Amino acid sequence: MLHKQETTQRKIFVGKAASPGYAIAKTKLIVRQRFTVSQLKIPKENTANQIEFFRRGVWQVKKEISNLRDLTLQMAGKDESKIFDSHLMILQDPSLIENVISLIRNEQWNASYAFHLCMQKLIDTFEKRDGIFKDRALDLKDIYNRMLLHLSSGENNFVLQEEIEEGVVLVGFSIGPNMLMHFDKEKVLGLAIDSGSTTSHVSILARSMQIPAVMGLGNLSESIHAGDLLILDGTNGIVIINPDENDISKYKKQIEVFQNQKLELSTMRELEPITMDGKYIRLNANIERYEEASEIISFGATGVGLYRSEFLYFGRDTLPTRSEQAEAYRKVTHQLEPLPVTIRTLDAGGDKMLSSVSMETESNPFMGWRSIRLCLDRKDIFREQLKALIEAGDRGNLKIMFPMISSVSEIERAKDIYDDCCAELKAEGLSIPKIEIGVMIEIPAAVMIIEEIAKMVDFLSIGTNDLIQFTLAVDRTNGKIAPMYEPHHPAVLRSIKLIVDAAHKEGIQVSICGEMASDPLSALLLVGLGVDEFSMVSWCIMECKKIIRSINYDEARAISYEALKFSDANSINNFLRKKYSQKIKRLGISSFIITQDFSSSDRALVRVDGQIERIGV
Amino acid sequence: MISCKLIVQNTLGIHVRPAGYIVNIASVAQSSVELVYSGQRINAKSILNLMMLVIEPGSEVEFLINGPDEQRVADELTELFNNKFYEDAS
Repeated sequence: MLHKQETTQRKIFVGKAASPGYAIAKTKLIVRQRFTVSQLKIPKENTANQIEFFRRGVWQVKKEISNLRDLTLQMAGKDESKIFDSHLMILQDPSLIENVISLIRNEQWNASYAFHLCMQKLIDTFEKRDGIFKDRALDLKDIYNRMLLHLSSGENNFVLQEEIEEGVVLVGFSIGPNMLMHFDKEKVLGLAIDSGSTTSHVSILARSMQIPAVMGLGNLSESIHAGDLLILDGTNGIVIINPDENDISKYKKQIEVFQNQKLELSTMRELEPITMDGKYIRLNANIERYEEASEIISFGATGVGLYRSEFLYFGRDTLPTRSEQAEAYRKVTHQLEPLPVTIRTLDAGGDKMLSSVSMETESNPFMGWRSIRLCLDRKDIFREQLKALIEAGDRGNLKIMFPMISSVSEIERAKDIYDDCCAELKAEGLSIPKIEIGVMIEIPAAVMIIEEIAKMVDFLSIGTNDLIQFTLAVDRTNGKIAPMYEPHHPAVLRSIKLIVDAAHKEGIQVSICGEMASDPLSALLLVGLGVDEFSMVSWCIMECKKIIRSINYDEARAISYEALKFSDANSINNFLRKKYSQKIKRLGISSFIITQDFSSSDRALVRVDGQIERIGV
Repeated sequence: MISCKLIVQNTLGIHVRPAGYIVNIASVAQSSVELVYSGQRINAKSILNLMMLVIEPGSEVEFLINGPDEQRVADELTELFNNKFYEDAS
């Protein structure tokens, strides 16, 4: 177990730059302990579900501890990481699991209470012992806390030990999107999180909320005390604990420059996203909640390119009703009328579980029962959502998009269900609006049959995060192979080219949603490949607009086509940098999400006592 | 079935790490592996069961191993105990 050191030394941590911006503030530790254990008798027919729910909790906590072990191994060494092997063994102890399951099955207790009973007994026994065995009670408590956090429906029951009173930087091992939304936006000045990456959901959310964030900081939360002053540099991925005066004055200047840049970019709001030679590139916003609709206008968005409807389903034990959904969708379509609003149908599963739908633990959830696959099986859920969408399409410019398409028949079946819903609503006396239907291309199989797909739909949208992950067979959340997650891999670029060409042949438009859209170099590359629309976190829009307004489409096209000829990502990156880096620097674009290493030559990194020290901030 | 009596020779007894080594061997075995200590008989594939027994240094434990790979399991456990759980080697 890692022990907190009683020290107020200056220390620098380097992580992943997840959301740009700076903060100088006090540390607020997120303590993941408070939860409520409810004691419930569950009906006999639901015990199987509860057992499954319990097993899923074990699986999730197992993943969590394994990650921690790997991080500890990297940061602190083998001896320190061994304790997590014991934790994993205890978590998966057959007698513990049997006892919990038998309490659920025979006593009909809910999973969290059954686990609570078993663990409390063990913890009590160990606490009564002496010396070395007494310490084991701490390990058991750690496992107990982690499990209960998942079983008591996870982050929703999470509460901070005390309310936030002043502006703080939140520091913790991990933080969920829902957790973040619970806090007072004005008082959260930044996030410094031990786990996660730039494409974690919470990073996406932090960027849309314009909260600077650094992820993947290893064991920061174990090395810091509540109330410690820290500097958070979300632009470069740096955290300085207990900074000296020198750091503070440098960063104060940095903050001023950043604010000015933001101000300058805001002049972009009223301008059109149009290249110097007159090609209009639609710049849409990604949103997750209807509340965000009002914000996107202030960022100069031309519409919503991706409304992640699954957020309506998260953090609750029942499914949202049709009228509840329709109301949420209407709030966006009506408010933004006449701007287009593309709503993606339920994209759950994978790393995004729903507590209202019974899901089994899958060994490979990203390739499992998720998204459109789930919807085509659970037609009851799908139909309610489609009807809600049709109802919400009465005004405004609504488009519907199906995710995770891998075959022609999936599109046929989804459209059949949609037509059926239209017919039913029509019979009820509703007038059916004309709604465009599109699909997301994020599976390589769909790329291979893109010509057929393009004939069946009104638009295509490329989900680059999944397309890259599946094309390259690289799990973007696995730190060990993260460098292999290469957006500019020729396989990815040529796939995009195929998609664009097929779409244009059928006279339909192609949009890009995914992290790639908000990276300046990638954006230039994609414009050149002929992509018609981008959808990105709203704060990136003005920056992207500034870039688009500074280029000639014909030149970008020539550069992108040249880039397609290279056979590896490195050469493509070097080529693009050679062509564009001067321009991007001249434009004063400061945020680099994917191509962070752009400025790595300016950075000198040395290792000091296992921590990474950066010289010359 | 094999009965295999072993002496705990390390200085701290069977705490979490030695228990982990035992589970590592027992849990991959096809045989059932049980441990008898001061009148209690427990499943040796469970680290919690092992830890709950608080097996003191110097004491004798008996493994009852039953199944197709019982001899191999007995050999591995004997080696583990004889090596004092790789702890006091210095």
